[in-house]
Amino acid sequence: MSQPVMVASTLQAPTVPDSRWIYLDNVRQKKGPFTDEESFDASGEAVSAMEKMKLLVIGAGGLGCEILKDLALSGFKDIHVIDMDTIDVSNLNRQFLFRQSDVGKSKAEVAARFVEKRVKGVSITPHNCKIQDKDDEFYMQFNIVICGLDSIEARRWINSTLVDLVDNENPESLKPLIDGGTEGFKGQSRVIFPTMTSCIECQLDMHAPRAAVPLCTLATIPRQPEHCIEWAHIMAWEQEKPFPKLDNDDPEHITWLYKKALARAQEFNISGVTYSLTQGVVKNIIPAIASTNAIIAASCCNEAFKIATSTNPSLGFEENYMMYSGNDSIYTYTFKHEKKDDCPVCGNIARNMEIDPNFTLEEFIESLAARPEAQLKKPSIRSEQKTIYMQSPESLELKTRPNLVKKMGELVEDGEEIGVSDPSLGSVNFKYRLRFSKPFKSH
Amino acid sequence: MTEVVTDQTPPLLNGPTDKEKKYDRQLRLWAANGQQALEDAHILLLNSGSGTVGVETLKNLVLPGIGKFTIADSSVVTEADLGVNFFLDEESLGQSRAECCVRLLQELNPDVKGDWFPKQKGEELENLLSVDQKYTLIMYSLPIDPRSLALVQEYSRQQKIPLVALHSAGFYSYFRIILPGSFPIVDTHPDSTATTDLRLLNPWPELSDFAAKLTDNIENLSALEHGHIPYVVLLLYYLKRWKESHGNYPTTYQDKKAFREFVSAGARTDNPEGGEENFDEAVAAVLKTVTVPSIPSSVKAVFDHKPDDAESSSSFWIIADAVKRFYEKHNELPLPGSVPDMKAQSSVYVQLQNIYKAKARQDVAEVLETVRSHPHGNEIDIGEVETFCKNAAFIKLIHGADASPVSIQTIAENEFQSDENAPLTMMPLSLLPIYLALNATSHVPSASASDILAIISKDIPDAASNPRIVKVAEEVARANGGELHNISALTGGMASQEVIKIITKQYIPIDNTCIFDGITSRTQVLRI
Amino acid sequence: MLKIWSMQQDANADAAAGTKKKKVTAAQLRIQKDLSELALPSTMKTDFPDPDDTLNFTLTIEPDEGMYKGGRFHFTFAIPQSFPHEAPKVKCTQKIYHPNIDLDGNVCLNILREDWKPVLNLQAVIIGLQFLFLEPNASDPLNKEAAEDLRSNREGFKRNVRSAMGGGSVKHQTFERVLKT
Repeated sequence: MSQPVMVASTLQAPTVPDSRWIYLDNVRQKKGPFTDEESFDASGEAVSAMEKMKLLVIGAGGLGCEILKDLALSGFKDIHVIDMDTIDVSNLNRQFLFRQSDVGKSKAEVAARFVEKRVKGVSITPHNCKIQDKDDEFYMQFNIVICGLDSIEARRWINSTLVDLVDNENPESLKPLIDGGTEGFKGQSRVIFPTMTSCIECQLDMHAPRAAVPLCTLATIPRQPEHCIEWAHIMAWEQEKPFPKLDNDDPEHITWLYKKALARAQEFNISGVTYSLTQGVVKNIIPAIASTNAIIAASCCNEAFKIATSTNPSLGFEENYMMYSGNDSIYTYTFKHEKKDDCPVCGNIARNMEIDPNFTLEEFIESLAARPEAQLKKPSIRSEQKTIYMQSPESLELKTRPNLVKKMGELVEDGEEIGVSDPSLGSVNFKYRLRFSKPFKSH
Repeated sequence: MTEVVTDQTPPLLNGPTDKEKKYDRQLRLWAANGQQALEDAHILLLNSGSGTVGVETLKNLVLPGIGKFTIADSSVVTEADLGVNFFLDEESLGQSRAECCVRLLQELNPDVKGDWFPKQKGEELENLLSVDQKYTLIMYSLPIDPRSLALVQEYSRQQKIPLVALHSAGFYSYFRIILPGSFPIVDTHPDSTATTDLRLLNPWPELSDFAAKLTDNIENLSALEHGHIPYVVLLLYYLKRWKESHGNYPTTYQDKKAFREFVSAGARTDNPEGGEENFDEAVAAVLKTVTVPSIPSSVKAVFDHKPDDAESSSSFWIIADAVKRFYEKHNELPLPGSVPDMKAQSSVYVQLQNIYKAKARQDVAEVLETVRSHPHGNEIDIGEVETFCKNAAFIKLIHGADASPVSIQTIAENEFQSDENAPLTMMPLSLLPIYLALNATSHVPSASASDILAIISKDIPDAASNPRIVKVAEEVARANGGELHNISALTGGMASQEVIKIITKQYIPIDNTCIFDGITSRTQVLRI
Repeated sequence: MLKIWSMQQDANADAAAGTKKKKVTAAQLRIQKDLSELALPSTMKTDFPDPDDTLNFTLTIEPDEGMYKGGRFHFTFAIPQSFPHEAPKVKCTQKIYHPNIDLDGNVCLNILREDWKPVLNLQAVIIGLQFLFLEPNASDPLNKEAAEDLRSNREGFKRNVRSAMGGGSVKHQTFERVLKT
């Protein structure tokens, strides 16, 4: 061990005249030995560019609260946060921007106000809604998106939205997506450059699916307390409908399920049904603690800071995924998750296609057969809104057959996306963004 | 079977208490006993430097509800603090940093008490440590002045409490846990898939009888009965037949593969499904469950440990000794007693469960008898013996910092040796240089790269010729002693996880230093 | 600043053009492929109440052999947006007497729940449903009484199936008439 080189009674922080961001500037205005010199800019311009960046935080829960704090203290000034949830008492053990008196209020709004008040000069705009309520124009305004979500569904949605936003002619359309997730003492953070590197859909195999128990086991041969609870949840509730609609957050509803499950467990001599287990199974509760959220959120924000400042290399093009496990000592594994060529999201980007809107659907389908990349003989086609034409099954073919004589302009709008599948394509589907080459004359 | 299910007392129909609601998501990890340990804890943070990593650690301990915390910090809040520390606000400028942080941390959880030091300017740290304060654990952030460090080190040695050192600067950090002595853990929370112990190669009479009864007419069982024989019973049945024809149980991989075929051939296929699920489960379980129990090295380490006088009267070591004797007598550990879920009729499965539970209770009784024969054995709760027996294969011992110290030179040699092979092994480079460079600034607010290298060279003479050490020293110098909030928040998260593991005596803490590289986003744990 | 952003920028590029339009979802695209590849025997038909919504439809099975011959059985299919990572949700809309279909219409078919995999397709599910009518499984029942009936007295079970299909009562339960004619 080295000997102390300085003896002082107290160690003050390095004293520098009133500069609030002096520690950030140590690295923002001075390059280090690992800094990429080509992209790093030590001048004040880089700092003001960073301050102009707009960041979107998705989720204002356990990770989201931490992320907002971390971004505000990383020198970002314009942050938006989106969350549809309200504050529950079980959030208070980790979602540290909320107090007992906030229970029932919007997470996004309370979190935004708190951080804005605490950190001078930061603007945080809350959006108390679902991510699906916002359109592409909304997502287009941001430079970086950071997710602190507990749902795979929401992650997949924002992932495919950001992949679809990418327009090769507009570099600004590429929004780095940084995603964090935790479970108990474990978690992961990952950096995605949509369309360029492995996306959330490519990485779906990293989420183990929840093991399901056969329905007949629940119905006739339960063996575990969980089987009794699932039976109450899936079958007894449906049969008896004690309340019009099951609300997982209503203690009266959970108590009903708990009593049902308990009675069934006693009938089969099964022990272990408790209120807490009932709640855990029905709500699929994942244990969550402040410390793991702190680790994962800070990892995400550290990557965001490095991406925004180039002060040091970030995860992304090479290694893009960090796994953290704290059950047995501390173990991290940082690696490169490879992009999947056949990924249904980033391996299947919509191509632009010019069409004459005055063509009939039948003529359009014939033209598809002539396209070199497709050569589709029996294509089925839909837009998000409409089933345009299905070759089979018979019932759908019959219902969509009248579309064949309609003009394309009647079936799709200029700029709309269509999905095309064809038996000759195997597992591949094509997506085209249709652009009208001339005005559509409806009659 | 006339076994009476004894643990069938129906739980109260009351919903959870307010506290259970608030702490629901963490009680699922460390249960009520872990929570109680946290609530009984008092943690002292000695804060210095840019002052954030320790406060971030405390945040993650206040939220889950530690009993009490105290911050000792003689600094006054500066502008720079407000750019890195979330638990200060504009009004804090010019005030005691300790007091302001305590105030804003306490807001997070009204159940937690907070205190600060010094209350008056110039008050000596001795006052804080000499008062009859019982801290559960002390954390200090680096850089720290050597006199304060010596004081807490002395205090922790005397009081036998763990110390946690935290150092975060720029993109780097490390933290180190100094345990006062050996630290045994019973409740290590192993993966549920790892804990299956079915004793298929050494079944006790009740289990063998049960299996024999269910299979004595196996050929003539109805489709329903045949398709619902639990796989444990199937394996016992086929093992018996295998032994009859082969003279011994399948032990080699080849034998087990052949045994798997043998089991598989027993499945009926003349049904709509063309097979039977319980046989599929049996086949899948062969490699994992048809094994001679061996004793894990971590358990052997516990058995081999010679507890000192103070240790030997603690309940852990009394029970450990009783379990060791149990093992010496039976050549197996007490049975954990749990049975994984498997395809079976409810009543048959419950009977099987009860056979395992009964044997587990019997093993506990035997261990308890040995425990009671110890002079202090009567004070030990039977629950503690039960938990120990249930987790016997997963107990873990972490040695104190003083046990068999390895010099930093030896550690460095090993680490840099494996770095040379890194291009071949594809292993990431050692993070030891980060520890060395940060450690070189343990007592100074900041230092130049050449100063840092000079200090490292005292221990590692050729440091200056190692390009990685040189670069890391430059990166530490670049930070100029300043913390980056993200790195401190991340480090505070990891350190608080470890503190929770130590206080609750659940899960397995690091041994003993965790180094973080915020550039490559990696950690490394080293015993230093 | 990240390199990918510092490339030539064209702030006036018409980036927003067409981006307001909703996009075909992965579930829609995958079900379109599954539907267009369906090879249904003459005993099964699909119906799409709203042809634009291909995620919700019904399937009719008219077994031409086995104990359920002569019946016409309706199932609703609800494809979740997470398809194919989650299985289709399938329910029988009639109250029928079947060991693997309960009185609420829940269906016990392994690939609809514990054994579902994204590589499975709609065809596999539909074939599985058809199989349940040809070979009802008495070992893993959802309707315990029906299963016991099938196990203990196959002929009696057949008679009960006939009377249930005709809208009669079996074991104090009245069933829905599901006969074609």
